[in-house]
Amino acid sequence: MTPLRILILEAQVPFVHGGAEILVRELASALESRGHHAQVLSVPFTDSPKDEIVAGAEAWRLLDVSCAGGGPIDLVIATKFPTYFTRHPRKVLWLVHQHRAAYELAGTRFSDFSHTPRDVALRRRLIVTDSRMLRECVRHFTIARTVSDRMLKYNGIASEALYNPPKLAGRLHDGPYGDYVLTVTRLEHVKRVDLAIDTFQKTTSTMRLLIAGDGSIRHDLAEYIERRGLSDRVTLLGRVDDDRLVELYAGCRALLFAPYEEDYGYVTLEAFLSRKPVITARDSGGTLEFVVDGVNGYVCEPTTDALAAAVNRLGADAALAASLGERGQAVAANITWDHVVDRLTEVGSRTETVRAAK
Amino acid sequence: MRIVVAEARVPFIRDGAELHVQSLVTQLRLRGHDAETVTLPFNGRKDELLEQACAWRMLNLSTSNARPIDLLIATRFPTWCARHPRKVVWLIHQHRAAYELFGTPYSDFTDSEPDTQLRQRIAALDSGMFAECERIVTNSRNTAKRVEHFNGVSARPLYHPPPLASRLREGPYGDYVLVVARLEPLKRIDLVIRGMAQISSPVRLVIVGDGSQRTELEREAAVLKVGHRVTFAGSLWGELVADLYAGALGVVYAPFDEDYGYVTLEAFLAAKPVITTTDAGGPLEFVRDGTNGFVCEPESASLAAAIDRLAADRALAERLGRAGRHLAQTITWDGVIEQLLG
Repeated sequence: MTPLRILILEAQVPFVHGGAEILVRELASALESRGHHAQVLSVPFTDSPKDEIVAGAEAWRLLDVSCAGGGPIDLVIATKFPTYFTRHPRKVLWLVHQHRAAYELAGTRFSDFSHTPRDVALRRRLIVTDSRMLRECVRHFTIARTVSDRMLKYNGIASEALYNPPKLAGRLHDGPYGDYVLTVTRLEHVKRVDLAIDTFQKTTSTMRLLIAGDGSIRHDLAEYIERRGLSDRVTLLGRVDDDRLVELYAGCRALLFAPYEEDYGYVTLEAFLSRKPVITARDSGGTLEFVVDGVNGYVCEPTTDALAAAVNRLGADAALAASLGERGQAVAANITWDHVVDRLTEVGSRTETVRAAK
Repeated sequence: MRIVVAEARVPFIRDGAELHVQSLVTQLRLRGHDAETVTLPFNGRKDELLEQACAWRMLNLSTSNARPIDLLIATRFPTWCARHPRKVVWLIHQHRAAYELFGTPYSDFTDSEPDTQLRQRIAALDSGMFAECERIVTNSRNTAKRVEHFNGVSARPLYHPPPLASRLREGPYGDYVLVVARLEPLKRIDLVIRGMAQISSPVRLVIVGDGSQRTELEREAAVLKVGHRVTFAGSLWGELVADLYAGALGVVYAPFDEDYGYVTLEAFLAAKPVITTTDAGGPLEFVRDGTNGFVCEPESASLAAAIDRLAADRALAERLGRAGRHLAQTITWDGVIEQLLG
């Protein structure tokens, strides 16, 4: 394989550091470790006042990134709005998100777009222009199915969800199917940890529940456990370090993770990589992209009875847990940086092949 | 204060300007400021220059995530085109090919009608943008003179320590002279290699850096039969470079009209004399002939004579180098930040 010179395009919000930034840097090192020359190209982006959004997008359009540092750039990988406004013959999209305030968030309290003619016109303009710019991309990938669904709905463009492995991927391993069910989550209302706790009032097996993670409602949950008389069966571990977390995954019977409308389920993949089945709810969002009922876990109604039944089945049958977990592992093992790199660079490599054949 | 430092960067290239910006951000943070770099890629092609200036103009950096940014520090063309109510320029350089390099072999601008127009437009654009700025300081007197001459703007030089400053130390005055430079025509490494063919002492030459001229320069060394005495060490960073400075007899630095040039101060901080030329620009703000180095004619024979003098008298090398160190130590970041933030 000829090494490609690749630019990963990033929209930088100065003084704000988040998940997308980590994702982009992990991609850069994955590309480098496969022998490519990859660099992150950041351009600042601001969304206030709203008129600046279009100007920020135009800045990307003005940049010529076909050559840099004495050689051609073989491939650019666009991520967030407005990085896909760049001009390049081999522009591959790995969409993190569009400008969400103009899309699915419009009309909610998370958006500064209101129902004035001006805002409606700006939204429409952004979506129309986005669609044109997105269509220029030679391949369309997104980081998750929810993002793909959104692009199909608003921009009419089909895409493939291309998942990246969780950060712990290289370190997770399997272990005994022990006597506890694990929950790994931030302790916030939207994660519905109380539902998981209440489930253990209904279980008949001797399974315990261990909850790893911290958050704003930790104190409330501790009291809640006490009040329900579940102190001997449910334990809040608080925040645990990575080493401990890997061991907790390795020793559990199953993962119980039933949040409301989660975006992407790293936790699901982490459980699968430890060969553990996942018990989730049918309104849990991201987990449903991986969990198939009865195959690698259980997709339940979001009720304590339904979740307790799943815990009871796995609690009574460690061999069942092992076989479901095994199939989960097969799903998660396909999600590798190698695969992400292969798919994202296919276009570049194919050109190389054509060039070599000539 | 929340401060953004604006930088135009060529992807896949690391150079002095990038180090300058990184050091500035680090130093601002050390003093409790919230500082961050913002970049746009830069491409030196003539037909892309104004587009890139437009791209910078598109950026309104007065706020980020609904919070104000207090100050923008612009560094080189075309970063000063960004929009911000409070801009300060710490000028590294303008687009040199359109200014002082025009008419030399180092510029791609000809005296054709379109090129002349483009040069005039760039100069007018820069002048207009400088007028928006609260203050203009430059990295050297050389750069300040240029901006006064071409844009009629008065600017003060503001020297800063080189990025390697904390790692540099004195060492034995060894059997080699050192060149640290990107291997590009403007750095005139060929002049030094030809000098090596004319020296009488058994001194070696070590060249740190890489660039488009590497093959050509290696060939030249071979043709002149000095290949065995010239080492191309490639790109090195940090401790490895500090080690090479520490063990050198002296440092040869003969670029054409350099803006500022970290090498002079790096050599001095390692207590090494600097051999430079009368047309080297920035280095002449520090090198005094016979005091802390030698200022030669830009000819290989003249460089060779200076190298021979150091080789013949290591005590002289040491005396000159220590005088240089004394000078370089007066340049500190505290002074820089104070003047930048006003």
